[in-house]
Amino acid sequence: MKKVFEIALGIVTSVGGFLEIGSIATAAQAGADFSFQLIWAILLGGLCIIFLVEQAGRFSAVSGRTIPDAIRERFGFNYFAFLYIVLALVTLLVLAAEIGGVCIALELATGIHFQWWTIPAAFLIWLVMWKGTFGVIEKGVSLLGLVTLCFVVGAYVIHPPEAQVLRGALPSLPQHNSVHYWFVAVSILGASISPYLFFFYSSGAIEDEWNEGYVGVNRIIATGGMTFGSVISISVLILAAMIFAPQGVKLEHYTQLPQLLVPVFGYRGYWLLVASVGISCLGAALEITLEIAYFTAQGFGWNWSENQRPRDEARFAAAYTLTIILAALITITGIDPLTITIFSMALTAATLPVSIVPFLFLMNDYSYVRVYRNGWFSNAVVVAIISIAFVLAVVSIPLQIFGGS
Amino acid sequence: MNLVRDCLDKQIDDRNKRRMGRVDGIVLEVEPGRPPRVAYVELGVKTLMMRLSSRLGNAIGHFMDSRRIESAPYRIPWGKIKVGLNEVRADVEAEQTPALEWELWLRKKVIGRIPGA
Repeated sequence: MKKVFEIALGIVTSVGGFLEIGSIATAAQAGADFSFQLIWAILLGGLCIIFLVEQAGRFSAVSGRTIPDAIRERFGFNYFAFLYIVLALVTLLVLAAEIGGVCIALELATGIHFQWWTIPAAFLIWLVMWKGTFGVIEKGVSLLGLVTLCFVVGAYVIHPPEAQVLRGALPSLPQHNSVHYWFVAVSILGASISPYLFFFYSSGAIEDEWNEGYVGVNRIIATGGMTFGSVISISVLILAAMIFAPQGVKLEHYTQLPQLLVPVFGYRGYWLLVASVGISCLGAALEITLEIAYFTAQGFGWNWSENQRPRDEARFAAAYTLTIILAALITITGIDPLTITIFSMALTAATLPVSIVPFLFLMNDYSYVRVYRNGWFSNAVVVAIISIAFVLAVVSIPLQIFGGS
Repeated sequence: MNLVRDCLDKQIDDRNKRRMGRVDGIVLEVEPGRPPRVAYVELGVKTLMMRLSSRLGNAIGHFMDSRRIESAPYRIPWGKIKVGLNEVRADVEAEQTPALEWELWLRKKVIGRIPGA
């Protein structure tokens, strides 16, 4: 009975914690610019993250290790340092985007420009980290994130044309603006397959003291949580395709987002969107901050746990404090949060092989996962999807930045 | 034992299972006519940077010295080291060693002074 409860709670928190500013922005942009045509990208990213999250949980439950811990051990300090620098830079940008998302929600709620909210939002994130436990971050904020289910309700109520939705589930070539099409597809893949998500999940498995007995529980939570999470992203795309695309509206600023829900829910839709963006970005910001601190502490062998008092793990507390300050400095410059979000998601896709290839080696190493090693199918699916994401990213990012068609 | 596989980069804990850091380096002593002998394990920023590049390691060392920060890595004699299946244990008290110098400094001077720490 305890495990049934854990599975239910795990799925619910995964669903509540799935959506973040990257998923919202990339799905909304895809729907606005290409109608239903990019649903396949969300499905592909969702499939990959199901496999990766399941593997991350299985790895930690069986080996008793987190992924950064094992990467340092197995691949040595030089590779760890390279991975750390790449991930830290990209993840700081993603964190800046999430802090920007919290600030945009506050701007929508108060009318005060988002830049003014950077310091209060950063302080709020730090305060939750300082006072909260892992359970508060993992379960509390994620449960509040269930408000994002309003997108699913909205997508159902608006009655999208089923044939077009199904057609969008299959990859197709763009009829116009092909560079932008592939760039948005890459950004969607980057938003879905975020390394911080499965690294965080791996650390969470250790915080929650999982062991081999949790392999089955982990499989159900990872599959259920990530599947339902992807459904929310698809719902955002459907709403944008039904509301923005017919009017030729391009998503150029976050202040346009309330238009996704207002036509469906009326005035309440405005506040549902504010709550969805604010809570989901707050949750993601907490998870990303924690993940950077985990990664640092685990890689260097420091004491780490969000359940301990800050003074008992001063370097870990200093790591997350510094992380929040650095990300807030990016946000406070006033660079358009939408631009930061889209580019940080595309960069995430471009750097996926750096973090996922060594992880796949670990998942096939008998000394860590013994009989729970990956099968050929799991390896093939993940390798194929990250290869597609990497190639598309390497080709489309320069073209999007420097122009081309 | 394979030193690189079983010892280098492993988590190292003290005798009370307190995390101290990782095995950043291993020091071998070579005497003429004798096989090499493992003398110490090392923990420290300079050792890590030397692994990336000797120039970088020396530059970091000079920088730390110029700021009067101890740049020499902390060495634990091999006799105090036990290498287990997944961990390395040192027969020392972590808080009494330079391995936790930064942790204790941060606790005392920064983190510990913030309300709620």
